Amino acid sequence: MIYYIGAFGLVFIGLYIILTKRNLIKVIIGLNILDTGVNLFLISVGYVREGTAPIFSRGSGQVLMVDPVPQALVLTSIVIGVAVLALALSLAIMLHKHYGTLNLQKVKEQKW
Amino acid sequence: MVSPVLLIAVPLGLAFAVPLLRLISRRIPKYIPPVAMLFNLVLSVSLMSSTLKEATVVSIGGWDPPFCINLVVDSLSILFSVLIALVGFLVSIYALDYIEMGATENTEKYHMLYLLLLVGATGVVLTGDIFNLFVFFEILCISSYALVAYLGDKAGVESGIKYLIQGAIGSSLILIAIGILYGMFGSLNIADIASNINSIGSIALFIPLALLVTGFGIEGALFPLNGWLPDAHSSAPSSVSAILSGIAIGVGIYAVARVIFTLFGVSSIFPFLAILGVLTLLVGEASAFKQNNLKRMLAYSSIGQIGLIVFGLGIATYHGISGGLFQVVSHALGKSLLFMAAGYMIYRTGSMDISALKGIGERMPLTSIAFTIGAFSLVGLPPFVGFASKFLIIQSALLKQDVLFFVLAVLVLLATVIEVAYFLRVCQIIHFKEGNNQKKEDAPLVALIPMFILVSLIIIIGIYPNLVFDFLNSAASGLLDKLAYIEGVL
Repeated sequence: MIYYIGAFGLVFIGLYIILTKRNLIKVIIGLNILDTGVNLFLISVGYVREGTAPIFSRGSGQVLMVDPVPQALVLTSIVIGVAVLALALSLAIMLHKHYGTLNLQKVKEQKW
Repeated sequence: MVSPVLLIAVPLGLAFAVPLLRLISRRIPKYIPPVAMLFNLVLSVSLMSSTLKEATVVSIGGWDPPFCINLVVDSLSILFSVLIALVGFLVSIYALDYIEMGATENTEKYHMLYLLLLVGATGVVLTGDIFNLFVFFEILCISSYALVAYLGDKAGVESGIKYLIQGAIGSSLILIAIGILYGMFGSLNIADIASNINSIGSIALFIPLALLVTGFGIEGALFPLNGWLPDAHSSAPSSVSAILSGIAIGVGIYAVARVIFTLFGVSSIFPFLAILGVLTLLVGEASAFKQNNLKRMLAYSSIGQIGLIVFGLGIATYHGISGGLFQVVSHALGKSLLFMAAGYMIYRTGSMDISALKGIGERMPLTSIAFTIGAFSLVGLPPFVGFASKFLIIQSALLKQDVLFFVLAVLVLLATVIEVAYFLRVCQIIHFKEGNNQKKEDAPLVALIPMFILVSLIIIIGIYPNLVFDFLNSAASGLLDKLAYIEGVL
């Protein structure tokens, strides 16, 4: 249970940062915290109390193991997160070149 | 029979081969996307007849479903796959010249990202595994963020970062929902989850459903979630706007439909979906009406078209769904044609303002005709394809004999009137306003050919809608009949 609370705590902290901060870098950090929260949630879905890493070895017999599928998912999700983060940071650099600021309140040429 | 895996594997391999082939010659990269998409088009069309009878299931890794990652190629998937390959092929031919214009650096990045976008889209429509769906969706999203900011100008970067932030939140929501579903069912296979979905109470299912619809709805541009769309579609290069408007949104809608119809199979959400669709339609058309910027107007019109598609799906009768899918087809053909024509018009006039288009009808006669036909088709004038699809949606809404759907159908017709007003205004400026006469300089041949292929498709399918009806009906019944889907896979 404590893992779920921690995971969704991170998710909500991330969302709060994205929604309230005006500095683009902080928003990107918020995205990353949100991502971490989701990853932690996925890991805790597959967690088995006192389970070991799901690696088969000779002679290990029957041992309690955690579910390997969510771990594979998290691996993929981390990679995707890295790609999004790298792209976001490179766009932030370009945005700073054009506007000379990272304050999102001052970047509003496109309107509905 | 050729395996449908090649639909994903070949373009994916070629996409990453682009930078390598660039080392051999600078001229090769731009021919890779047309080749890959032509391959996909031929393969998808050849798979069409077999999927009409039953879905093809490809298991990867030698395990049986639900333990493996599988591709489920039913008629709905192949309908989208053909559409993606067709529009992708035509737009990539168009981009051969368009993207080189005024380019200061090499364009191989564009071609690679473009192919990756189409691979992501194809993967989303073919996969039968919900996490795989997410991964392909992310390929689609990340390459479209990068393509929106491809030019690196002020507007592009701003809309790119906006799109990225909203898209990233959306994909996190999808991932949370996947985690919850895995926790409940211990499976990631769509058919497996769908067959066990009734074992869990409906309240507990509401959270993953809401998260998935919100997450995919951001890419599919459902009404409260489409703040990124007008910026992204109007700031991107026109070839990218064409593919984003024609394909990427449609794929988002496909994902929403798959989740609602197949994965959850909830019928109580359909009136909500229909109302959401009409709301999206009205907001989109009303915003398009007051635009002075040509590409922004087209982008808002895309929002409106998406609303119409969602309305068609929300009717949830057999004819309503085939009408919605027909609208996906007519939107993909019409809107990519409009963006392609608008790309060269904007380049020739040097301005995105609608008022700058005066006299362009004399200056670029063929492009203007293509633009006009695309506009007429979207508005829904016979004999173009847009008429057939709109007619089918309105007809099935009235056949439902429900007061709610009657009112919604009236609102749809009202939105169509707004649509007529702004499209005809543009057409009037193009054809009847005298400009300062300049010499004729039409778009180059390599751009005109894909445009006129689209024009002829719009007219042919518009006159003979029966050509596609069989296929649309089969796709619609595939969406409605979730038991057949489950039995086909497991």
